[in-house]
Amino acid sequence: MKKHVMGIDFGSTTAKAVVLDMQGNIVAWSVAHMGAVSDAAVHQAVDDVLAQAGLEQKDIGRCVSTGYGRRMLDIADKNFTEITCHARGAVAMVPEARLVIDIGGQDSKTISVDANGLVAQFAMNDRCAAGTGKFLEVLARAMEIELDEMGDIAMGAKQELKISSMCATFAETEVISLRAEGNSKEDVLGAVHQAIATRTLGLVNRVGKKGPVVMTGGVARNKAAVHYIEKALGMPVILPKTPQIAGALGAALIGLDDYKAELAESGESLDEDHDVDAQMAFDKSCVSGCKGDPVAAAQTAPAATSKLKSMLGNLQKHF
Amino acid sequence: MLLESRVKEQGSILARLGEVCTDPLGYAREWKARTGGLVVGSFPMNFPSEMAHAAGALPLIIQEAEDPITAGHGLLFPFYCGYTRSTVDQAANGELDVLDAIMFGDHCVQLLGAADAVRMSLKNTRVIFFQLISSMCDPWTLGRAKESFEKLREELEDFLGRKVEDDALRESIRLFNRDRQAMRKLYEMRVAGQISLTATEMQYVVKSAMVMDRREHLELVEALVAGATENSPAPEKRAIRLHLSGHFCQAPKPELLDMIEGCGAVVVGDDLYHGFRYISTDVGENGDPMEALAHWYLDRNTGVPCPTRVQNDVDWDAFLLDAMRKENAEGMIVLMAKFCEPHMYYYPEVKEAFEKAGMPHLLIETEHESMALEHIRTRVESFLELVKRRRGAAPVVTSAAQGEVA
Repeated sequence: MKKHVMGIDFGSTTAKAVVLDMQGNIVAWSVAHMGAVSDAAVHQAVDDVLAQAGLEQKDIGRCVSTGYGRRMLDIADKNFTEITCHARGAVAMVPEARLVIDIGGQDSKTISVDANGLVAQFAMNDRCAAGTGKFLEVLARAMEIELDEMGDIAMGAKQELKISSMCATFAETEVISLRAEGNSKEDVLGAVHQAIATRTLGLVNRVGKKGPVVMTGGVARNKAAVHYIEKALGMPVILPKTPQIAGALGAALIGLDDYKAELAESGESLDEDHDVDAQMAFDKSCVSGCKGDPVAAAQTAPAATSKLKSMLGNLQKHF
Repeated sequence: MLLESRVKEQGSILARLGEVCTDPLGYAREWKARTGGLVVGSFPMNFPSEMAHAAGALPLIIQEAEDPITAGHGLLFPFYCGYTRSTVDQAANGELDVLDAIMFGDHCVQLLGAADAVRMSLKNTRVIFFQLISSMCDPWTLGRAKESFEKLREELEDFLGRKVEDDALRESIRLFNRDRQAMRKLYEMRVAGQISLTATEMQYVVKSAMVMDRREHLELVEALVAGATENSPAPEKRAIRLHLSGHFCQAPKPELLDMIEGCGAVVVGDDLYHGFRYISTDVGENGDPMEALAHWYLDRNTGVPCPTRVQNDVDWDAFLLDAMRKENAEGMIVLMAKFCEPHMYYYPEVKEAFEKAGMPHLLIETEHESMALEHIRTRVESFLELVKRRRGAAPVVTSAAQGEVA
């Protein structure tokens, strides 16, 4: 039996990889930026994550891919969409989450997650790059600033301006026009992030506004985007420590389910955890003992304690 | 016949039907050159093609073309649906010159506008306009439907310069019924897993019936039915069983249907006009054929409810849920043509009913000009993943899935 699984998010602008152990703990993760759906980036992310974990590809029991390039990866055993994987990854990172906002390089999605920790409803942009990382990238170019600087500069906005077009190309014209009228970079960038927030609010309402809200994807690292989205929602947005890897983590967790199910079918025991059913139930629920109410679930200490005891027991046997 | 040659024959039949669907006006030109007959075009939905057939003409339901709109932009606003804009464009570009007459019905406001634009473009083509009562459950509905069909018959006779005889009409009704029954047999076999026909192939079967000489079509479809035995390859059992709904006037693009099935689904039923809606109902073969056609018009709306008709005792959403139960379908994809007002009007009811029933569904809006297939693929795959993962989940989830266009 192999002792690790891998998730790869082959995104439109970055490639992410995560390695998990059989308990679902993150052993290593990596993010590589190499351009649009880049083979080099995905190889770099995979090589890096394997090197960090001290593993080789042959040590990986199951590899699941997601993202735009999910079908292009020979090393992946299965692939799932970003929607399914981000939902799974986000609830693993923030168990109480019931709404996931994922803004990536070329698309933005809102995903409501149901009581089983599965996707209940989703909405995504499908006609243009409105409200996505690409939108920010185009406008950063128009403003002659680096993408990474955008959020900090936008936080300095003093007055409210408006960008009415959601088309990145038309918005670029508006941005140039606002600058020509003498508006500061800060104020114009504030309007750019406000436009993203408005678009996101529209997507949120398509699936139903409810909390707790967690944000994943690269744009979650932009503090102005988060600020304006929180303002538009009128709700706090929870940020995982590593929002960019939510998709890869979700893919890896799905791979872990799949690998364990296969091992259970073949009758092979798990070294670290003999209680396969309990482990599977644990992994499939958003939090231990979750019955659809995360607040109530947080109080179900016996389930978590029992799991911990089981793991400790196995550890003792191991030694 | 050996399995290999049977499969080969079925493949060549489907290829022939596909050719007709890809170039319906090309077929009409070829038929006209071969027979010297007249071609009578019509808008989709409720035109009784049997009448034109009985008069010796080739009835052809005008199809949306693949070509981007060019000349048509000068005649119809971009907020008309893809079907009406494409039809007007084909008229403006001279493509519809092969039609000797066109029968227009008033099924929605956009078709009315398109009828005027086509009339302006085709000055030498006889345009016959007929109105059908849209209220389906009034005491006078049957009488009014019969009156409309009588008027249509008179106009046809005037155009053709000869009578449409009752006996000829009965003969055409029998032929069309037999063809519809053969196509419905394929639907039954598909649900039962006795034949493996993709959604695109099923569309070829039905759409070609709207274009081809019916006898020629019947021969090909009956050969398909006869060739499909227990040896036919059954669809992948693990695939998600889907029902497709919507698209009234135009056929969904084959690349979209192929993409949906390519994501791991198998379409087991539909209420598409280029599908079960078109073939759902037969015409009575005995008695007064005009009375029978009027009854057919009423029966069609109970066979497969239509959002362009009003009938208090018929619910489209209830029909869909019932059809899906019979087909053992696990989810539904709604294909809504952009700017299709009747569909837009009724969709909220369908959505509400599906959410209440806990039946997952996905809405996809389609366009004539372009579709971002990769984006749609992500939504379809997510939807199928959701349905698949719920197979094993506890039945506490009642909300439906909806991947809306943003």
